[in-house]
Amino acid sequence: MTLPARGAGRSAVLSPAFERLFRAEYARVVGIAHRVLGDQEGAEDVAQDVFLSFYRAHPADADYAPAWLHAASAHAALNALRARGRRMKRETAQAIPSDAPAGDDPAETVTVAETRDEVRTILARLPERSATLLALRYAGLSYSEIAAALDVRASSIGTLLRRAEESFRREMP
Amino acid sequence: MNESEIERGLGTDEPHVDTEAALARFRTRVEEEGVTAAPPAVRRRVPARWLQGLAAAAGVVLVASALTLSGVADSILKIFEPKSVVGVPVTQQDLSYLGKACAGLDLQQCLGTYGTFEWTTPPQPKEVQSLALASTTAGYSVQTPSSLPASVTGPTRYGVINRSSATFTFSASATQQAATRQGRTAPPMPANIDGSHLYMTAGPAVFQVWGAGTSTARGGQSEPIPTLVVGQAKAPVVTSDGVTVDQLRTYLLQQPGVSPQLAAALRAIGDPASTLPVPVPAELAISHPVKVQGVDGLFIGDNTGIASAIIWQKDGMMFEVIGSLTERQALDIANSMR
Repeated sequence: MTLPARGAGRSAVLSPAFERLFRAEYARVVGIAHRVLGDQEGAEDVAQDVFLSFYRAHPADADYAPAWLHAASAHAALNALRARGRRMKRETAQAIPSDAPAGDDPAETVTVAETRDEVRTILARLPERSATLLALRYAGLSYSEIAAALDVRASSIGTLLRRAEESFRREMP
Repeated sequence: MNESEIERGLGTDEPHVDTEAALARFRTRVEEEGVTAAPPAVRRRVPARWLQGLAAAAGVVLVASALTLSGVADSILKIFEPKSVVGVPVTQQDLSYLGKACAGLDLQQCLGTYGTFEWTTPPQPKEVQSLALASTTAGYSVQTPSSLPASVTGPTRYGVINRSSATFTFSASATQQAATRQGRTAPPMPANIDGSHLYMTAGPAVFQVWGAGTSTARGGQSEPIPTLVVGQAKAPVVTSDGVTVDQLRTYLLQQPGVSPQLAAALRAIGDPASTLPVPVPAELAISHPVKVQGVDGLFIGDNTGIASAIIWQKDGMMFEVIGSLTERQALDIANSMR
């Protein structure tokens, strides 16, 4: 429930349950979007939108909340990635130095940038399910967490991941 | 590129987030945007935005299937009967033009801005009390899911829409006037299209609805959002007496407001006489082909991954499963229909 904030600041008072959920899942939701988008500012924007969508439509103590947030973060980030299109390519390449491994070798930095650019271009082209699976896995979710997010059996995640990676390789130039 | 390169490309560093700062930002946004939290209801899983998108899509399906598909020679021929479905991304900009052109108008009036639209047998939906009665009223055997996920509960309601038919007569002057009202210029209508007719028939259709409350408990309160809708209808058929499929498609795709992307997607349909293009709101939803009941179908899901629709055609019938479901649940329901 939203209540007017006391004091001078214009901020809402959220339910304790929602604040617990936010604190528990925010970093993970940002992490998933960050794997897809490659920039933290965009990832945090996606996370804010995802939590707002959840806040509007779902009770904070729903047992499906973490799984919903994880899936929604991947879907929303992939959507943002596709919308960026060609502009995203330039931004990703420019953003690389801040995330690039430490080192003074310009050639290595360029190679990493090109790899990241290529990976995201392919990710944007993949079927939604495959791209979501890869985003969740490489964001560090366990098989059981991915299974909950995608509503599939945990025992099938290994096979689905292999297929997603095969789809990824087929898209490579 | 191997697995480690994929991982390297996606990045291995965890972003350093300030959760408390983010929570403060969230509180401010909730306050400034006047957002209210969802009530602690047991089930509330379909965002209104998705329903709005679905409603818009449903409306555009009718227009698109009536206006973008044709093909005929010198006499009245069957020119459109869907045997498959394909998703066509439609942007807010595309919908915006249609919305402006039809602002304040119902479907009949909207189509009337491009010619004359007349129902010869208007659709008259009515509720019936049982599946058997729905089958009897529709005149065919209605399929129903043999298994449902645990989230779908409550009594089932049944609706039947009679077989409906309508005629559309193209008018060059009406089309030009509609474009002028939008401050645009429509391309000249070919002489053999001006005054030609499309004859459309659809249905009967049967809808089975779960989670919409009971017919006796509606009262003055708004009804709950259904958790599942299963639809079945005899495939629509369009006949024409004047134009070829290529002539009509080429002309319609030149209309102002049809974006190059939308036109390209519609032109890419291999067999327009037997393919139903289903508009998918590009900013709100995704779609991809699926195999259902042994035939090719179309999955549509909202971007948050919590609402799904499956549409397919089999044995002269169109089917759809729509609800607050995952893709897997929707497919399981579709494949369980007998």
